[in-house]
Amino acid sequence: MITYKYDFVPAGEQALHIVFPEQVDVSENQLIQELAQQLQNTFGYEITDIVPAYRTLTISFDIRKTTYYEFSSKLKGFLAQYVPDTKNEHTRTFEIPVCYDSEFGIDLEDVAAFGNLSVTELIKLHSANKYFIYMMGFLPGFTFMGNVPDQIAMPRLSVPRASIAPGSVAIAGKQAGMYPVDSPGGWRILGRTPITLYTPENPLPPFQAGDWIKFRQIDRAEYAAIKELAAHSEYQLKIISE
Amino acid sequence: MPNIEIINSGLATTIQDLGRIGHQAKGIPVSGAVDQYSHRLANILVNNPEKSATLEFSLLGPTIKFNVETFIAITGGKSEPVLNDSSISLNTTYPVKKGDLLTFRPMKSGRFGYIAFAGNGLQVKPILDSQSTNTRLSLGGYYGRSLIKGDCLTINDCYQMPSLANRSLSLNEEPIGNSFRFIRGPQWDLFSESAQQLFMTGPFTISSEADRMGFRLDGPILEIPQKNMLSEGAVLGNIQITRSGQPIALLADRQTAGGYPVIATIIGADLSKFVQFASSCPLVFEQVSLKEATAALRSQYQFLNTLADSIYQKRYQYPIGPTRKASSKIAETILNS
Repeated sequence: MITYKYDFVPAGEQALHIVFPEQVDVSENQLIQELAQQLQNTFGYEITDIVPAYRTLTISFDIRKTTYYEFSSKLKGFLAQYVPDTKNEHTRTFEIPVCYDSEFGIDLEDVAAFGNLSVTELIKLHSANKYFIYMMGFLPGFTFMGNVPDQIAMPRLSVPRASIAPGSVAIAGKQAGMYPVDSPGGWRILGRTPITLYTPENPLPPFQAGDWIKFRQIDRAEYAAIKELAAHSEYQLKIISE
Repeated sequence: MPNIEIINSGLATTIQDLGRIGHQAKGIPVSGAVDQYSHRLANILVNNPEKSATLEFSLLGPTIKFNVETFIAITGGKSEPVLNDSSISLNTTYPVKKGDLLTFRPMKSGRFGYIAFAGNGLQVKPILDSQSTNTRLSLGGYYGRSLIKGDCLTINDCYQMPSLANRSLSLNEEPIGNSFRFIRGPQWDLFSESAQQLFMTGPFTISSEADRMGFRLDGPILEIPQKNMLSEGAVLGNIQITRSGQPIALLADRQTAGGYPVIATIIGADLSKFVQFASSCPLVFEQVSLKEATAALRSQYQFLNTLADSIYQKRYQYPIGPTRKASSKIAETILNS
């Protein structure tokens, strides 16, 4: 049985949100990720797309095959019977190498000052934590992760930067993220990963919402070496637990 | 290889289909034709599956030289196409042969035009099951970009077009009225009653910030909800209200998720009319039920199905053919004799 309250909200005549309690919570989000998979398996015929987010599951369906009323009542029936997988055995943790060189981590000093820490302590704190991917989007491979330790949870810039380099590893309040492509943004940038997060030839990222991310500090030499490998698609992302 | 050559790019000419469906969970935008209805219609006219890749252009069409024998159909905004010095009609199938030149005058009205090519459309390698282009991400289509002078795109030769004589539609000149139907958005209730009223009173105009991602609307500024919201999946036709109180309608290249409250969703059946609507005209939004929205979109699909069926049914009616290969061979023989 699903212990969270949930509701159905139309998002168009061909889409609905299943809305769960408004919170940023790993267990709730793990249920949403699990449901995304199960609903896709069960209702793949009607579903055209399914997007798990923090507290919502957005399901698009084909109006030629079903309607909002018919489909939401099917979903209600399914969810009423649903037994969640409480063990969460399928969680993976990816290790992402990050170079915290001051050239890359342009906000290191500011965030360290915010947390009353030295830059070394800040890096240690940031890389010691494990981050859960709540959702992916707005760009291909952009990760909305949490939770950043309170001490360094510095709010985003009031005026976003026009351009942020691909691979930038950043925080915004309690959120953590990585920029897959050059884009504008107001997050605080702590470092850069040499791995390729997006290419037009192979646009899918290696990880998905529901996975965990752990950062490993690397120096400039290792950054260059991994970048070279990644450029030839020869770098194997390490999964530290499965 | 049979192909078409781009002699002049036109404006924002890209390869599009029905989009990269099913990968938004990983942040991949859907893309595809902004005006799906016109894209589908163009494909029906040349006997293609609905998903075949068409050329989409904005305001000014490309100049194309054909190194191929096939059939084409042009739909969407009133683009005034010219085939070898003769004006041709929209929503009509025409045979083209090697050496033919297609040009366009600037659109008289509308924004997006579509050119469909018989024989399953433009042949570019699909990425994640779609040939559509997203230029911001350099993804899909022809090297992930808009077409430029000198590009050569592979298409298939196609010699036969059943019921060619019946592939001409006299559709309503233009969809009537300046009203667009919407259903309440997921965050409708977060807005004050006066903001809701103002949204329905309008009027709005489509601003100059209007592209494949979305159209920003000028008009009354809406009071925004105090409450912040967590990002959630964004849906085609959603109207977000930005922090400055300005509405943005989300279209084909929209980002997969958004954190602005969504006051309304334009109904699918009115999207084609919306994306072709002129900047200079005021528009208003009219609330309808989910039931009406569903019925309207279904009847639009039904119209296209009926159209495809009725064209197919006429394949044995006079005039039959022409089966092009034969007719061109005969013409050649006569010329050479």
